[in-house]
Amino acid sequence: MKTPLLDVRNLSKTFVARRGFMGGQSAVVHAVSDVSFSVATGEAFGLVGESGCGKSTTGRAILRLVEPNSGTVLLKGEDVLGANPRRLRALRRQMQIVFQDPYSSLNPRRTIGQTLTEPMAVHGLGTAREILEAVRTVLAEVGMPIDAANKYPHEFSGGQRQRIGIARALVLQPELIVADEPVSALDVSIQAQILVLLRSLQQRHNLSFVLISHDLGVVRHFCSTVSVMYLGRIVERGPVPAIFDEPLHPYTRALRNASPVPDPKAKVIMAKLEGEVASALSPPSGCHFHPRCPHVMEICRGVYPGWVQVAPDRGVACHLYPAGVGSTVSAAAAPGR
Amino acid sequence: MSKASQLPLAVDGLTTAFRVEGRWYDAIRDVSFSVARNETLALVGESGCGKSITALSIMGLVPKANGRITAGRVLLDGRDLVPLDETEMETIRGNAISMIFQEPMTSLNPVLSIGFQVAEALRYHTPLTGEAARARALALLEHVKIPSAARRFDDYPHQFSGGMRQRVMIAIALACSPQIILADEPTTALDVTIQAQVLALLAELKSETGMAMIFITHNLGVVASIADRVAVMYAGDLIEIAPVEELFEHPMHPYTEALLSSIPRVDRDAGDLKPIAGQVPPITAMPSGCRYADRCPLRVPRCATMPPLVGLAVDPNHQVRCWVRAADESVGA
Repeated sequence: MKTPLLDVRNLSKTFVARRGFMGGQSAVVHAVSDVSFSVATGEAFGLVGESGCGKSTTGRAILRLVEPNSGTVLLKGEDVLGANPRRLRALRRQMQIVFQDPYSSLNPRRTIGQTLTEPMAVHGLGTAREILEAVRTVLAEVGMPIDAANKYPHEFSGGQRQRIGIARALVLQPELIVADEPVSALDVSIQAQILVLLRSLQQRHNLSFVLISHDLGVVRHFCSTVSVMYLGRIVERGPVPAIFDEPLHPYTRALRNASPVPDPKAKVIMAKLEGEVASALSPPSGCHFHPRCPHVMEICRGVYPGWVQVAPDRGVACHLYPAGVGSTVSAAAAPGR
Repeated sequence: MSKASQLPLAVDGLTTAFRVEGRWYDAIRDVSFSVARNETLALVGESGCGKSITALSIMGLVPKANGRITAGRVLLDGRDLVPLDETEMETIRGNAISMIFQEPMTSLNPVLSIGFQVAEALRYHTPLTGEAARARALALLEHVKIPSAARRFDDYPHQFSGGMRQRVMIAIALACSPQIILADEPTTALDVTIQAQVLALLAELKSETGMAMIFITHNLGVVASIADRVAVMYAGDLIEIAPVEELFEHPMHPYTEALLSSIPRVDRDAGDLKPIAGQVPPITAMPSGCRYADRCPLRVPRCATMPPLVGLAVDPNHQVRCWVRAADESVGA
């Protein structure tokens, strides 16, 4: 089997939260639990879920911007988590990140040119002339004028700043880009410009993406495979658009139904995912989704469901799909207790 | 029986200007619309289009230091609110018109219990006091479906989730049984499953009470699920207004059309996105004609003057502010 570009196995990350008077008590938050997925060269992989589901922590843990507690991350077969600082620097050249908020992710005191040359200087790449040339190329690639290099971030609009954020990630010519909600802060028309830009970069450079988003529309448009996260765990994984057209996990279905669609005839099924996302500090026993699940069964309250591969490219963690059964959506509609 | 008196709220030719570096610029100009009882009008547009300024102008909340309403009327049951002073407006705000804001954490007082804050609205605007106000406040919290409202009555805002805080805001807005609710991006800060719950609640309350709702949002998906009619704004101009199904099926203004085809959709593979090239001009450099002209593929010389908002011959309820499209479709123009 061909080695995937990125292979994430059983990744976990816990944070310690201080609570109580003066932080006297502490509690462990399982931000990411046992997350596994892989991304092929040139593939756009989506991580989708609501706030606090651990999707951003997962993205950061891949690059070791937060240190995971356990698991493995392999980039082209090389161990990222075990890499020494020197190797890590070399690995990070191949994987870069684009952040959500283009206002806070650019240094306001540096010109765009300084921001774009810094990564190359850090990695000791090229002569001054080569670096300048790289900056010109990358600005042109993201659709910015060359004279942007002499300006400061405040002189640009949100969409332009996001282009600069993308240019900063691109300047090292990485193979993988982790894009954490890259269009969430932007207006619809600007959002479409950025998505079109990302798609063209993907095609031109055969780039791989891990796209982190809460917006199912963005994921459907951009990604070929998606994993759905709920309270730190992947609950379903599969190809786009099948996962949205025929969701298996009741949470995926609820998320799909609650996502607004610009068509008055397809009114959001406002019924009726009761309740709210539980706190990651004290996730419910058994399946974390069981208190909100319309198909909850006795077993769901006590036992976290194992991963069931229902098709070669499709898997789900839900007791409605017993291992070994190629279950269908209608099975999920069977009355629960 | 005049038609206007049937309408709880009519905005007529509203123009609000802001001062930027010593000069006054129109942030919204000539905005006219009305909303009927038991109707939800969505005011939709991208950042800076003037949808929130329109709301602030209706509520008399335009910051006086550098903003002012320069023309137009805001008719509440036929009475113009624009000339009213602050004291008079205070009897109207929270009473006849209530507002719900985007961020419930910053709109609630963090050091007062949520029960107290709901009761406060009642004590301020109604004759209810003490136990009676408390009882009514509890009923309101139950009405907006706060689970175990009695037990949580004395809890503070930080003990509630975002969705629950927004329910508290809705309870406060409903305290005086307003005729009109002005909701400014009320679900934007919420996760989609929670957003669906809050939208369902608002729709239910509207049909229960028969109040009129002006729902401000940038999200056309939300518009499709909650609105009866839609007004689209661009750069301070109201450019199109139509019943919701009509607007989504037959968008007339080139901007509305472009906006609809730039949304990545979860329900279908719509093919490639077609982004709108360019950007909204800054308020200090707005063209005097159609403000979308620079980005518009249908631009003609006439677009250098501002087109009027005219109804279409096929459907007078569908109005559009575009020389090209109005000329194609209406009889009069």
